[in-house]
Amino acid sequence: MPYDVGSLMLLNQFLVLGAALFSIGVYGLLVRRNAVLVLLSVELMLNAVNINLIAFESALVTNAAVGQVFSIFVITVAAAEVGFGLAIILMIFRNRRSANVDELDLMRW
Amino acid sequence: MTVDAWIAEPVNWVFSIVAVVILFTAVRVVTSPNVVHAALYLVAALAGSAVMFLLLSAEFVALVLVLVYIGAVLVLFLFGIMITRAPTGFDEGLSNDRKLVSAAISLVLLGVLSWASLSAFGTDTVNTVGSPTATEILGDAILGRFVIPFEVVSFILLSALIGGITVARRDLTPLEEEERKAV
Amino acid sequence: MTFEIDYLALAPELVVAGTIIAALLLDLFLTRSKKYWVAVLSVVGVAGGLVPIVYMLAEGGTRSMFDGSYVVDEFALILKIVFLVSGYLVLLMSVSYIEADRYYQGEYYFLLLSSILGSLVMSSSRDLIVLFIGLELTTGPLFLLAGWRKGDAKSNEASLKFFILGVLSTAILLYGMSLLFGLTGSVEFTAIAAAIPDLVSEPALALSVLFLIVGFAFKASAVPFHFWAPDTYEGAPTPVAAYLSVNSKAAGFVAMLIVMYTALPGISEVWAPALWVLAALSMTVGNLSALRQGNIVRLLAYSSIAQAGFMLVPFAAAAVAGSDLAQAFSATVVYLVIYALMNLGAFAVVIAGARRTGSGDIDDWAGLGQKDPVLGLLTALFFLSLAGIPPLAGWYAKFVMFASVIEAGGISTLVLAAIAAVNSVIAFYYYARVIKAVWLDTPSEELLARPGREYAGSIKLTLAISMGLTIAIGIYPTFATYFGEASRVIATGGG
Repeated sequence: MPYDVGSLMLLNQFLVLGAALFSIGVYGLLVRRNAVLVLLSVELMLNAVNINLIAFESALVTNAAVGQVFSIFVITVAAAEVGFGLAIILMIFRNRRSANVDELDLMRW
Repeated sequence: MTVDAWIAEPVNWVFSIVAVVILFTAVRVVTSPNVVHAALYLVAALAGSAVMFLLLSAEFVALVLVLVYIGAVLVLFLFGIMITRAPTGFDEGLSNDRKLVSAAISLVLLGVLSWASLSAFGTDTVNTVGSPTATEILGDAILGRFVIPFEVVSFILLSALIGGITVARRDLTPLEEEERKAV
Repeated sequence: MTFEIDYLALAPELVVAGTIIAALLLDLFLTRSKKYWVAVLSVVGVAGGLVPIVYMLAEGGTRSMFDGSYVVDEFALILKIVFLVSGYLVLLMSVSYIEADRYYQGEYYFLLLSSILGSLVMSSSRDLIVLFIGLELTTGPLFLLAGWRKGDAKSNEASLKFFILGVLSTAILLYGMSLLFGLTGSVEFTAIAAAIPDLVSEPALALSVLFLIVGFAFKASAVPFHFWAPDTYEGAPTPVAAYLSVNSKAAGFVAMLIVMYTALPGISEVWAPALWVLAALSMTVGNLSALRQGNIVRLLAYSSIAQAGFMLVPFAAAAVAGSDLAQAFSATVVYLVIYALMNLGAFAVVIAGARRTGSGDIDDWAGLGQKDPVLGLLTALFFLSLAGIPPLAGWYAKFVMFASVIEAGGISTLVLAAIAAVNSVIAFYYYARVIKAVWLDTPSEELLARPGREYAGSIKLTLAISMGLTIAIGIYPTFATYFGEASRVIATGGG
């Protein structure tokens, strides 16, 4: 399908979308109290990174598709982090019957 | 490129529609008063991102995103939500009361990031030709140039697996352990 | 495209990776009372990783693979020695601690070894992707290890706080990396450095550098991104806290320096002031907070924040003054080597002391010197070394730091040196407070009544090694200087 759509889409339309997703993730991180929801917000931020990487790759066209490879690594690491995080949340839930971040107040910040 | 030329292009209609969906669902992820809904909104936001990847000719990454993220990670999330019996009904207590300050912070962040990228990349366009990046290139890159991080990432996954099971499992009480030994 | 793989250059990583797999398999066949064999295997494996490093150091030269993204030069080798030796000491001090309670032993060593492998990979990375993956393997297993005392609410909390801040810092770091990749079109540090001069005026570049610094500063727990550290150290099992304060802190710290030094020297006007502020704040806030701590682990946590500030001083000073960065780099590495040894020694003392007194409160340690003179002497030794009193190793670290700052010259540099000097005095006060409690305060009857318990051989060995090296470097500092000189190779051969 040799159909050139490249010159019609701006790089910046994707980058601004990525910036918006990142900022929304930061908002979620600041307001959410539940640990699972905090983790969901971080996933939004990582997804913003992926959109950036793919858009840059598409604009640069590196010879090893570095941007796409990078985003595959980001996806893999994010999956591993969800594994770490849910294990910790489960452990805490067993002990405290709650997954709220700001109830963790044994030690002052 | 003029605004008219941009709008005249069907690809950009697709972009605009999907972008609106992504932004709406992303906002719902962080505002929804229901944990399960938030996770499902994230599914929609990620599916939208996969469409964006297709527009950018990253076919393989789009599929990985759907398979790994939506297929596996989000299911894991839902398990986590169900097992911790996080309140699945509507609950206003999921967010704290710093909403205004936080919104201001993230709007400023958005402004700064967009301004920086607009000034850096101006009207640069993405150079994709309709045909997707050959998966062969990705395979060669991952198992050639990037083979070290590829092998190392397997240790991250392994430690998430083994460590996760160890931490999350319920320990036997000393009494139960005695019983198990007796059998 | 095919790539040559230099297996000798990868040998340390391969040995540790093989040990990880072997430890996992061995763990399957051991009954609970025999689990210490996993520890023996891990310790042997980590020591085995040192063999190829020593061989490569003797041979000299730089080995570069995969388009220069994985480089084994003397700088990387020195860092690998630091990570392996400190990992070795942490493994040793873990043995009796982990055995004493009903912890999962095999998995504990598996996770700790994985983290060590991550830091080895990180020290050779000259590419954003390898660096990110290496850092992630360094910190990932530690999220779980911090919560290893599963029944303890404080340990749970330590783990969750560390995890949330960890993934947040990863996200910030990655966003910065994605911008850097987009601007320069490359992930290799040498190529990034070559592309920087054309981009210096871009606000996006400055922004991506700041994102990187914030991400790394979280991992290195530099002020103002440090607030998770004291809680995590206090809640985590003590050997894990020791590991966090040395290996994982050093990993974040070194990753930051590698990126700034090899990839971003062209834009030092952005990151130099930022590092200056980080160094000044870390020293001041770390030391002032340490003054108020009653718990010895929290005290060491704040002290390690402050020490990281001291470590940053030569580099920040040289960058602000625009003088020779290689000189500053070697000063920072000397400081890091010495800090690793004395801080691990201090944590080993805490483990032994907590066993003896049954408490982590400094007040409860009153009169420990009368009860157990050897432990009292060791407490004095390591805390005096941390304070920088000759003839212990700490003085040489401080000496190298101040010497390098004075060499850099300039007003802002001298201000930083003045801040460091004031902080050294403050630090002496709280280190001395611990020694005073141990030697001058009268012991409580409870402490005297406690039965004298024999220490495990492994903890004695940890103390002996770190004590020997701390005294040896203090009396014969040329040994540490060698590390500093060798680390300069990154300046010429690296990348």
